[in-house]
This record gives sequence, structure tokens and C-alpha cells, in this order.
Amino acid sequence: MFKNLKVSLFLACKSIKRGNIGTTILTVMIMSLIFVNLIFLPSIVNGIGETIIQQSIDCVYGNLIIEPKEDNLYINNVNSIQKKLNSLPGVVGTSARYVTGATFTHKSKFVSGAVHSMNPTDEEAVTIFHKGLIAGEYLSKEDTDEILLGVEITGKEGVEGEEADLGGVTVGDKITITFSNGVIREYRLKGIFDISVMSINSYAFITEKEMESVLGLENKASEILVKVSQRGTEEEFKKKFMELGISDDIKTWKEKLVGVMESILGSFSLITFISTIISLIMAVVVIFIIIYINTVNKRKQIGILKAIGINQKVIIHSYVMQALFYCFSGIVIGSILLWFLVSYMVANPISFPMGDVSPLVEQQLIVTSMVSLIIVSLVAGFIPSWKTARENILKAIWG
Amino acid sequence: MIKVKNLKRVYVMGKVEVRALKGVSFDIEKGEFVGIIGPSGSGKSTLLHQLGLLDTPTSGEIMIAGVDVIGLSEHEKTIFRLNRLGYVFQEYAILPELTAVENVYLPSMMIGKKRERYLKTSIDILETVGLGERLYHRPHELSGGEQQRVAVARALVNKPKILFADEPCANLDTESSRHILELFKKLNEELGQTILMVSHEEWHKKYVDRIIYLKDGLIEKM
Ligand SMILES: Nc1ncnc2c1ncn2[C@@H]1O[C@H](COP(=O)(O)OP(=O)(O)O)[C@@H](O)[C@H]1O
Ligand SMILES: [Mg+2]
Repeated sequence: MFKNLKVSLFLACKSIKRGNIGTTILTVMIMSLIFVNLIFLPSIVNGIGETIIQQSIDCVYGNLIIEPKEDNLYINNVNSIQKKLNSLPGVVGTSARYVTGATFTHKSKFVSGAVHSMNPTDEEAVTIFHKGLIAGEYLSKEDTDEILLGVEITGKEGVEGEEADLGGVTVGDKITITFSNGVIREYRLKGIFDISVMSINSYAFITEKEMESVLGLENKASEILVKVSQRGTEEEFKKKFMELGISDDIKTWKEKLVGVMESILGSFSLITFISTIISLIMAVVVIFIIIYINTVNKRKQIGILKAIGINQKVIIHSYVMQALFYCFSGIVIGSILLWFLVSYMVANPISFPMGDVSPLVEQQLIVTSMVSLIIVSLVAGFIPSWKTARENILKAIWG
Repeated sequence: MIKVKNLKRVYVMGKVEVRALKGVSFDIEKGEFVGIIGPSGSGKSTLLHQLGLLDTPTSGEIMIAGVDVIGLSEHEKTIFRLNRLGYVFQEYAILPELTAVENVYLPSMMIGKKRERYLKTSIDILETVGLGERLYHRPHELSGGEQQRVAVARALVNKPKILFADEPCANLDTESSRHILELFKKLNEELGQTILMVSHEEWHKKYVDRIIYLKDGLIEKM
């Protein structure tokens, strides 16, 4: 058995070493591109998913979000809840927000949407709006007549479109807000943020103090965002929160995102699946053709090998080894290409409506791609050589 | 060494039957150098293919070194060819991707001999056939006569019971032909190698001990 493999290896090595270099390089190139193709698109889709998750955690839900129980409009006793949560080790910050419907008006332009309230220092510990400021300043705790708007609401000057925005208001402009409870107040635009995510750029913030005066409420909230030090530990914290006696609705970002992710990634996963299948078929066809041409060209040699007493299996194995050589070289070169490509794209992400996306390569995906490519090579290497090696010796030698 | 009894080989091509061997019987003793001579199409190659286990006869018996070879399975035939038979084809059937010495030691490697041993044996044989200076040349760097000598060396490497050669000099000039024939003669005389060689050249006759004349698939005389 071992000596047979030795002869197969010997024949395969000589064949690769002394065969056509051009063919070898071409084959390895194609294999490496197939490998890149197998990994690249799914990684982009992963990247999109990751971006959605990160943006949602950073801006919309935190790691966990506490919402009023069914039928309730607000969470009660917010101060004491926040205090309890903040005392837990691993909780980085909590931010209580009121959310209410509102219409923003500037001169003849108006936009309908929602206003969030924030306690600026709390919010800073949980979300990243303070990092996304492109003009003006962040809110301070005591501000009453100031507002923070996302760039989707302010609009950009000169960019006249169908989008609902205020047509390019700038810091210092006066914005009138009609709250859903009928209160109308005027605010000075203090800052504009751009988080590169469309939906999040339609957020508007006033201070908690101001919101409580508008709504006539105190020590309540529409939602409490909680940031923890490590993503992936949310479920544990959810349990701890419940143990603390928090009776409101606690949800992790995962639970909040399930529907959204499924609908977005679901359509992508079909594309990914199709692209994977096409790549694999390509790999089969390419290796098959190469080994096939190789064996057909070497029909006579195979006949000679059999005539001098070389076992059929030894001959087949030598071709399978050649196919595996192409496969492994392709994987190595493909990994190098992929590394460069991913490094470049991490440094220069692509802009998507859901944010800036870089490919996210999962280990699992690399392993499955390698395994499928190896299996494909084994099959595609085996069939043509098996067919040729089975042929009658005299026919093989003299056609 | 070889006993052939009433050997027949009929090729069926559609409705046409070609009776290449019509019932051939003969014996060859150990240490003999036998020539097979006959006109083109008389069945010489067909006969050698049957004896070399490269083809299966339609009927008849072949015993080689006491083994009824027709009854062997494909796998057993392969092993038999590897261990017991040497075969030299009309064209120089050596592998273009291997050097002279690699071509020669391949069957030895297949048997599972140690590298030092098969390397030494192969080099010795190549020296015997006069290619001591060409060990690491690839076939395309060798002349036709040299390639054929590599093929002979390869056929000999596992010390076969019988060496078959099917018109080994057909594609060679007189000088190279003489070289090969003298080599065969030497192997036969010095090592007692049993050889069965097909030829159609009159002047080859003087090298062999005995001649089997074939005509139309039958032995004309012995
Ligand atoms: N594979 C084959 N199929 C059909 N006919 C064949 C085949 N091989 C040989 N023959 C026929 O058998 C006869 C003997 O051929 P062969 O043994 O090659 O003759 P020789 O070697 O004496 O020239 C010829 O008539 C040839 O055409
Ligand atoms: Mg012939």
C-alpha cells in the first residue's frame, strides 16, 4: 500500500515538475480565484450583517433594551432602575430615553418623524452620536431650547430632492417642533450628526429635562438602552436584570434584530448560495477539463505504465494527487489574494445604505470552502483518470 | 519455459472477423533466444501480445514458467508482467516525463525495492546497454536507438524470466539495430536470458538460436 502511494507520488511529482508550467500556473490561478470567489461574497454579506448589528447596538438598541410592559406607555421609576443596572459589574452605561412623534418645521419646509430625549452624559456612555457630529456641538444636560438633528432631517444645502428634509438648515437655525401631544416649541439647531446609516440619520434629540417639561412627566422613559462591556454576554445580563426585579420588557439586540436580519440577510443568502454553487461547479469543470485533457494526452503513457506492470490504482492515484496539488496550491494562493483583498477593504470599506461595510471572513466559511474544494478536486481528478486507466492496454498505446 | 497450445485470437469488428492467430502451438526452453519471423500481418505482434499478457486470446493455452496465465485476473496479470516479464515495444515506449534512469527503475520501485538497490541496478543495466553517460537525460534528449536501449534496460530491471521484443529495431538504423541485437545476444549468452524476438529482417537471423516462421496466423515452419 505504502509503496504504491510512493510510486503514485513519484509519478505525480515528475508530471507536475516536468509538465507544462503554463498549464500548471493557469490551473492554480483559476483554482485560487474560485477559492476567493467562494469566500468573498459570503464575507461581504456577513460584513453587511455585522454592520447592521454594530450600528443597531451603537445607536438604536444598545446591547440590551428595556421597554415598557405591554399596555404601558412608559417605564416607571427609571432613576432607581438605572441605578440598579449601573451597579452591576460589566454594565458600561445606561441611557433612558423618551420617544415621541413630532413634526419639524423650518420656514416652508417640514419633516415628520420622532424626537428622542437624552441625558447627554448617559447617552455618551451608550451610543456613538457624539462621535458622529459633523457640525456644531453635542447637547448639555441643562439645555432647554437646543436640538440635535441627523443629517437626513437637516438635509444638505443645494441638494434639492424629493426627500423629506429641511432643505439644508445649519447650526444656529431655528426649528419649530410640533409634538404629538400638541405642544409647539422653537429650538435652536445646536449640532448635526452623520452616522452613515440612513435610518439613524433621521434621529432628533432634545434633552431629557426639556422632554419632561414638554410631556409633563418625570422619572419615566420610553426605553432604556444598556451597554455591556462584552458583546455575546447579553443573555447572562438579561437573567441578572430579571433577578434584580426589573419587571419591564428586557430584550437583547439579537431579539430585536431577528426579523430585520432575517429579511435582509435572507435575500442575500440566496445570492450567496447560488454564487457558492456556481463556484463549485466551476471548480469541478475546470479541474475535470484539466485532468481530462491531461489523461487523454497521456493515454499512451498510461498504456505503457500498465504494460510494464504498474497497478491501475497507482496510476489513478497519481492523477488524483496532481488534482490535489492544484487544489492546495489554489487554496494557498487564494488565501494570500483574499488576505490582501480583505485588508484593503477593511481599510477602505464600501458604503451601503446600512453603513460602511467590510468583508467579515468567518473561520467556518474558510473550512467549508476548503473542504468542498478538496472534495471537488478528488472527484474531478478521479473520474477522468479512472476512465482512462481502465482502458485496454493495447488500445491506449495505439489508439 | 513457455508452452503454447492451439492458440487462437479472433478480432471481431462488427460483422467482420479477423482471425489473426488460427491455432499456434510451440514450446520455448529456458535460455533460448528465439526469433519469430513472418510477413507483415501474419500475426507476430498478436502472438507476442498474448504471451506478454497484454491481450486475451480467444482460445488455447499459454503456460509461462509453470503458470497458466490465461486464468489470471487482470490484477494478477499486472503483477505477473511486473515480476516475470519484460516487454520491448516496436516504438520506444518510454515515459517522456522521466529521465533514462527513472524510466528504468520505475518497475523496480513498483516492486518495492529499496532506493539504493534499484538505483544501483538501474545504473548498472544502463551501463550494460551503453548508456552510462546518459543516465539523467530525458527521452527527447536521446536518439531513437538510445531510447530503445532505455526500453530494453527497463524490460530487464526486474530480472524477468522472459524478455519479449516486438520488432525492436524497426525504427532504428542499421548501426543502432546491430547494437541492440548484439546486446540481446550478450544477455542471452552471458546471463542465460530467455528471449523471444519478432523480426522481419533477414540479417537478424544470425543472432538467434532458433526461428519460428509465421504466415497467415499459422506456424509455417520451426
Ligand atoms: N486490434 C485489432 N483489431 C482488428 N484486427 C487486428 C487488430 N490487431 C491486429 N489485427 C489484424 O490481425 C492481423 C495480424 O496483425 P499483427 O499481429 O499486427 O501482424 P504483424 O505484427 O505480423 O504485422 C492483421 O490482419 C491485423 O490487421
Ligand atoms: Mg507487428
